[in-house]
Amino acid sequence: MLLRSVFGKTLRDARRSILGWIVAITAVGAFYAAFFPTVNTPEMAQALEAYPEGLLDAIGFTDITSAAGYVGSTTFGILGPILTLIFAAVLAGGAIAGDEEDGRLDLVLAHPVSRWSVLVQRFGAIVVAMVAAGIVLAIALIAISGPAQIDDISAANFFAAGFQLALLGIVFSALAMGIGAATGRRVAVNAAIAIVGIGGYLANTLAPTVEGIEWLQSLSPFFYALGGAPLRNGLQVGDAVVLIVASVVLVAIGGYLFDRRDIAV
Amino acid sequence: MSEVIRTERLTKFYGRRRGLDGLDLEVRQGEVYGFLGPNGAGKTTTIRILLDIIRPTSGTAQLLGRDPRAGGTALRTHVGYLPGDFVVNEAQSGRELLTHLGHLRGGVRADRIVALADRFDLDLGTRIGTLSKGNRQKVAVVQAFMHEPELLILDEPTAGLDPIMQQRFLDLVREATAKGQTVFMSSHVLSEVQQSADRVGIVRDGRLVAVEAVETLRRRAVRRVEVVFEGSVPADAFDGLPDVNDIEFDGSTLRCRLAGRADPLIKALARYDVASITIQEPDLEELFLVYYRGEAAVEDGDAAA
Repeated sequence: MLLRSVFGKTLRDARRSILGWIVAITAVGAFYAAFFPTVNTPEMAQALEAYPEGLLDAIGFTDITSAAGYVGSTTFGILGPILTLIFAAVLAGGAIAGDEEDGRLDLVLAHPVSRWSVLVQRFGAIVVAMVAAGIVLAIALIAISGPAQIDDISAANFFAAGFQLALLGIVFSALAMGIGAATGRRVAVNAAIAIVGIGGYLANTLAPTVEGIEWLQSLSPFFYALGGAPLRNGLQVGDAVVLIVASVVLVAIGGYLFDRRDIAV
Repeated sequence: MSEVIRTERLTKFYGRRRGLDGLDLEVRQGEVYGFLGPNGAGKTTTIRILLDIIRPTSGTAQLLGRDPRAGGTALRTHVGYLPGDFVVNEAQSGRELLTHLGHLRGGVRADRIVALADRFDLDLGTRIGTLSKGNRQKVAVVQAFMHEPELLILDEPTAGLDPIMQQRFLDLVREATAKGQTVFMSSHVLSEVQQSADRVGIVRDGRLVAVEAVETLRRRAVRRVEVVFEGSVPADAFDGLPDVNDIEFDGSTLRCRLAGRADPLIKALARYDVASITIQEPDLEELFLVYYRGEAAVEDGDAAA
């Protein structure tokens, strides 16, 4: 069944790394969430008050004595995004640029399948992996929400946060696919992910605290994935649309250039 | 339409480096065309242009009457391709890869894949990563032939195959042409194509320097001749004979190279008492070197073009 299309074959070829990554992000995410009871104490609240407010904002910690604030700052604010970005660079960077550098792309493209189709189908497979990870992570958090004392977050909001984390992974995957399709070089993909990842993170956390450059935040993918606090406020439809449109544009630009260039030996 | 592949002044630059320099190629329907040249002569570049993996800098290419790019996926349905460097995901089995590639081609019957694999003693269940170079090449051969395409484009197809498997490959090529399929195969080894090719094109520095029927190549090939005489023979008896080169003559034994018609040499020999004569089979590798050095291009460049 999975052998019928490039989409299915991409999922099948990457099944071990996709499963491993889903297990990793779920385990790490749930592990951190499970520590909430140790943070949710008067002593911790007192200790945190000693820090200047701007500093906590700058490292992405907001309101961490509430369940939504804590899980939003750790699982969804730092660890989830870092793991997701690494996975986007590896899987989406490998899908075109990696295959091309290893010499595997020639054979597929010599078959009756267009470059656009290869790009879109492989991207589709990565979208499925990202969404699956978001869903599994949400289910795991719901499962431990009682003992972890985070059960004042609704199941719907866990799914909303998981979905928006998936969208963050999708937009970075689109960046990786777009750069990979345009250049065929993994090093370009990794550089783009690092620059946009670190730059975007700083723009989301630091820029709002610096007068005059607050607007930079609105350029950050992290702002649209996390800024609306989906654990507290549910799915942010507007933010989700921005991430989806950005993903489509990135893949489309990559596909346009991919279709017009030589495939490297 | 009798021409399956046609290129005109096909030129490809990689930045400032020249890959192809005005290549004119004609491959007829139903023939086996050997595309010969040393590494770096432009064989793989030509093939990748034909498959629309890279685009020419100038000039045109036509496959089955269509431009490779404009023909797109519909055109590639009719083509089988064996890449010179067969690299695939090594974690999968041969069966998995071949089934998948068959689906991309609109479905290839499983028994067809099994029958081809059996001919090459290929175990389809083994992970490709654990296969030897020769066995991987068998997978490459099977995927190129399995959908019985009108045109087979094979880049160094027998690389890594042992002599028995090379023979089975040649059988497969003969069966394909018997069914009207056309085979275009590149090689840097003459012996690889001399058994199967009808015509051979020799490419050098991105240009086609000669196209010959294999028989013609054989006729024009250089033969080493050794003649032992009885009795006395003048030292200059064989000087100035046409197509006879590299003469070594010590009064009783003549060693030379014959590069054309044998008649003048035979007539010259017949005047003396010949004890024995040895004429080696033509060494096609040597002929190939002649073309490669460019000597042939100077001598009969017009005839070749």
